[in-house]
Amino acid sequence: MTKLTTLAEAVASIPPGSHVALSGFATARCAIAFAHEIIRQGTSRLTTSQCVGGIDADMMVGAGAVERIIYGGGSRGRSGQHQCICRAIEQGAVATEEFSSLSMTFRYLAGALGLPFIPIRSLNGSDILDRLQQQPQPVVGRLNDPFTGDDWLVLKPLVPDVAVMQVQVADEEGNAWILGPRWDNVEQAKASKRTIIITEHLVSTEAIRREPERTVIPGFRVSHVVHLPYSAHPSSVYGVYDFDEQHMGLYAEASKTPQGFQKYLDEYVNGVKDHWEYIERVGGLKRMAELDADPVLGY
Amino acid sequence: MAADLEYSSFELMAVTGARELNDGEIVAVGLGLPVVASFLAKRTHAPHLTILLELGIVDPEPIDIGEGLSDPRFWYRAKVHTSFADMLGMVLHRGLVDVGFLGGLEVDAYGNLNTTLLGDPKGKFRRFTGSGGGNDLASCARRTVIIIRHEVRKLKEAVSFITSPGYMAGYGERERAGLVGGPARVITDKAVFGFDPESKRMRLEAIHPNTTLEDVLSNMAFQPIVPPNVPVTEPPTAEQLRLIRDEIDPDGKYAGS
Repeated sequence: MTKLTTLAEAVASIPPGSHVALSGFATARCAIAFAHEIIRQGTSRLTTSQCVGGIDADMMVGAGAVERIIYGGGSRGRSGQHQCICRAIEQGAVATEEFSSLSMTFRYLAGALGLPFIPIRSLNGSDILDRLQQQPQPVVGRLNDPFTGDDWLVLKPLVPDVAVMQVQVADEEGNAWILGPRWDNVEQAKASKRTIIITEHLVSTEAIRREPERTVIPGFRVSHVVHLPYSAHPSSVYGVYDFDEQHMGLYAEASKTPQGFQKYLDEYVNGVKDHWEYIERVGGLKRMAELDADPVLGY
Repeated sequence: MAADLEYSSFELMAVTGARELNDGEIVAVGLGLPVVASFLAKRTHAPHLTILLELGIVDPEPIDIGEGLSDPRFWYRAKVHTSFADMLGMVLHRGLVDVGFLGGLEVDAYGNLNTTLLGDPKGKFRRFTGSGGGNDLASCARRTVIIIRHEVRKLKEAVSFITSPGYMAGYGERERAGLVGGPARVITDKAVFGFDPESKRMRLEAIHPNTTLEDVLSNMAFQPIVPPNVPVTEPPTAEQLRLIRDEIDPDGKYAGS
């Protein structure tokens, strides 16, 4: 059964107030076209979650679409902090549930397995835990191991309403391949009630059946498939295109201030009608061709 | 002669970090100098070192060190592409990571590390990266090595926020909190520190060449334990410098002066 649809329709399926798990990690496989469309449609009061913050979350937070962010921290790497997220946290403009990379992964894993809670060694003795214990809705607890009597920190599972996964290859049913490292993406997709796949390449189900060992998200967990090349720009998609250092620099500069970020939104998000107009505005096919990954290097 | 070699403080820190790694160990690295230190160790005395990146990479051999963990340059020629659940879960949480390298904004006398914010957590503060896998390494690795700039504002009596616990308040508090391991070394651009076995307070282990004890102590906000005879840090060899400059970090992204 085909689940192929437009980005606009996939985004329209997400009601305000939803919890969205995002596939981005810093500047890799970020759901950028998705974030743009969320902002254009004015979808609000979202909760976003991911192990390490990506620029997909940074844009949505900057645009005011997010009321709660659940993540393990994160930056863009050497090029700096996620300025919109940092600013929103400093000003209390967004509620945060802050964990670590592994504790986020465990929460998704528990969600994916249908477990009521999951024990973990991390977070003990930290101010991260101290803050989590003050959350209005409990997300951490303590429990004795019935076998040894040891005291354990336990985490509440995460079950996002929808996972939005930026992948390299998928078919129209949503059977998806993630090439390169997968960070928390498989656990996110399997913990979520449904998944939206945004793919660089659309292939036949026959092509999927010939290499089924590469399928990490099965189609039966997927509600929508969007075929949209360069939809992670300016972040990278391993084996398909490199991150756009030039545009990332421009984004880094713009997001330093709310005014700069608003101008960025006006020009690249609200000022374009869709992803294709955005691609034209950031240099079109000529620029995208320059970013095409070398098959050996992967970038 | 080794004494005539010129090198940057970053290069010395990378070389000192590399010496903390033993052949056959498993090390988890993040961003910056620890990456240079780990690749240097692997190309010199520790060829059987296994290098992990938290997002799901085993033993990469980059030809361009890249902009950070998420840069595919850093993943080049990896032996395994996998996930957080595998690296941080089935390796680190399982107890198989020997060394975790950590960097940060501030560290205190007991090795408690802050990578989250500067200022008053309940009032006005400036927000930074947060944990990522840092807290997980500090909680689950057999030992951690902290690499940090030697400045009064970074070596604090108390940090604004404990992202990654060291020995907490010392004297066994870490064990009582259910944590294993703990920081083994703190490497700065002026000195190398360890921790007193009993009190777990930071203890000076070595002073870098061309640095004095006074310079070390006047640029930190707490008094470490200072043993009677503190040796001088072994300087880099010509081969170590060649590897860093020509092969590991030719653009000087992390080890450049």
